[in-house]
Amino acid sequence: MTGRQRKQIVNAIQITLILIAIFIMLIPIIWIFLAAFKSHVDVYQLKLLFTPTLKNFGVVFDAPYYLGAKLLNSSIVALVTVVVAIPIATMAAYSFSRFRLTGETAMLVMILATQFVPAVVIILPFFVMFRDIGLLDTRLGLILVNLAIVMPFAIWMIKGFIDGIPLDTEEAALVDGSSRIQVILNIVLPMAAPGLLTAGIFCFIIAWNEFLFALILTNKDAVTLPIGLALFKGEEGDLWNLLSAAGIIIMLPMFVLALIIRKYFVQGMTMGAVR
Amino acid sequence: MRDNTLKYLLVLPAVLVVFATAIWPLVESLRLSFTVGRLNKPNFPQGYLGFENYTWAFWEEPAFWYSVWVTGIYTVLTVTLTTLLALGLAMLLAPGGRLRSGVQTLLILPFAMSPALIGVSFRFMFNPEFGLFDAFFGAVFPPLADISWLAHPQLAFAVCVMADVWGWIPFLTLVLIGGLASVPPETIEAAQVDGASGWRVFRDVTLPQLAPVLAVVIILKSIFSLKTFDQIFMLTNGGPGTATQTLSHYIYFNGMKYGQIGYSASVAWLMVIPMIFLTYAYAKFVFRKAS
Repeated sequence: MTGRQRKQIVNAIQITLILIAIFIMLIPIIWIFLAAFKSHVDVYQLKLLFTPTLKNFGVVFDAPYYLGAKLLNSSIVALVTVVVAIPIATMAAYSFSRFRLTGETAMLVMILATQFVPAVVIILPFFVMFRDIGLLDTRLGLILVNLAIVMPFAIWMIKGFIDGIPLDTEEAALVDGSSRIQVILNIVLPMAAPGLLTAGIFCFIIAWNEFLFALILTNKDAVTLPIGLALFKGEEGDLWNLLSAAGIIIMLPMFVLALIIRKYFVQGMTMGAVR
Repeated sequence: MRDNTLKYLLVLPAVLVVFATAIWPLVESLRLSFTVGRLNKPNFPQGYLGFENYTWAFWEEPAFWYSVWVTGIYTVLTVTLTTLLALGLAMLLAPGGRLRSGVQTLLILPFAMSPALIGVSFRFMFNPEFGLFDAFFGAVFPPLADISWLAHPQLAFAVCVMADVWGWIPFLTLVLIGGLASVPPETIEAAQVDGASGWRVFRDVTLPQLAPVLAVVIILKSIFSLKTFDQIFMLTNGGPGTATQTLSHYIYFNGMKYGQIGYSASVAWLMVIPMIFLTYAYAKFVFRKAS
């Protein structure tokens, strides 16, 4: 066997392995997609060929499921969380990036560490407090606790982006008599805009997929989409076609958003430990 | 305004938010862990107990130790399997080209999926009557057909591990592909010219260069494995019995279902301790990179 033949065989094996990997990776997703377009009867038979129907998507928005209300809750909660978190994170990120602060490392480690605190630890006191002040089952309550998981990512991610912006334009403007606030608003923000958008999308995905907080804090009015999945448990077991339709509504927008920011996904998740 | 004042004003809101949403609940949880803390009784949290909740967990609650055991095995298995499989996939995909880059793009999808939804889809696939796996085994290996995967303790646990590994491989693969890209190709070529076999090149050249990234990946995955909740809740809800009850689920159950906030806060704090070590290790890597 010549070296070239050997190389071809190795390549063929590699391609086969890659194809198997894609198959395994996509199967659960494809399975949900197929089931979402199946009728109630077809979903309990393992058919690959069936008459697709859009009925499930209508049913989930109707009584008694009202998925629309959950969709609205999820959208509002995730959006407001991001809108509150990003400006606050940007201010902090700029300061961490451009200045030496007393206790800077301590603050950064603390912010990093909060991301690793188990969510169950955070939620117990919030549940007790929200019960006392009437914030249980409200969007406001959910937004407040979602800030806890989103802020560390936002700060570290935006800091990474601002670190990458060269200093010279800023310094020139300062020499020309601009104030620091003007520099931030007129120079840094426009240059950091794509980074802010990326961090915003990243945080939106995290808040949208958040499960434990919503499970504990909501039960009727403020229920979000992931918790809404639990609705589709009928008397005779899970209603798989409806679950799948709801699943698509949850995951499809996130797929689109994730593809937009995919280049920054790794950096965001690892908070700059890997670039 | 002077920069010296401004720089602290800029970080103030963020520090306040982190204090209110993370530090306060941590401290408050610690306080609650020393109280009776029964949700459904008046005068919450009904006075202090000292360390009684902790000693109760340690000496009177086999269920606590069982969930420690479940969480431990779960963490070891998911971290090992995910890392090894992701490393293999990263090696396969790293060379680039149209097919490989296309797959790298697709890798984002499972990671954008809500863990709760991953739990749902695996429960669906492992349904004993019409699930995908049932059909698969019915066709290729009938003895394994018609098994109620999620009704059997060990099998249900295996399905939980599978779902976790499935959900995390893509992210770890992407991180490791980034790590492989930073291994200088010259060193690999030099080793190949010297006549080193593929395995030797991997072991002596690639692996040592990849070590820091691997360490980051393993620490990060360990943290997320220890915290696992969403998938388990949707997939098995800790069952059958308590066969798949991780610590997070145990805390949730005791706190929310039985209303024992004081006790579950103490278990939650026991869970914080390993996190402190992992976070410390992780922070070292982050700051080494930053400086």
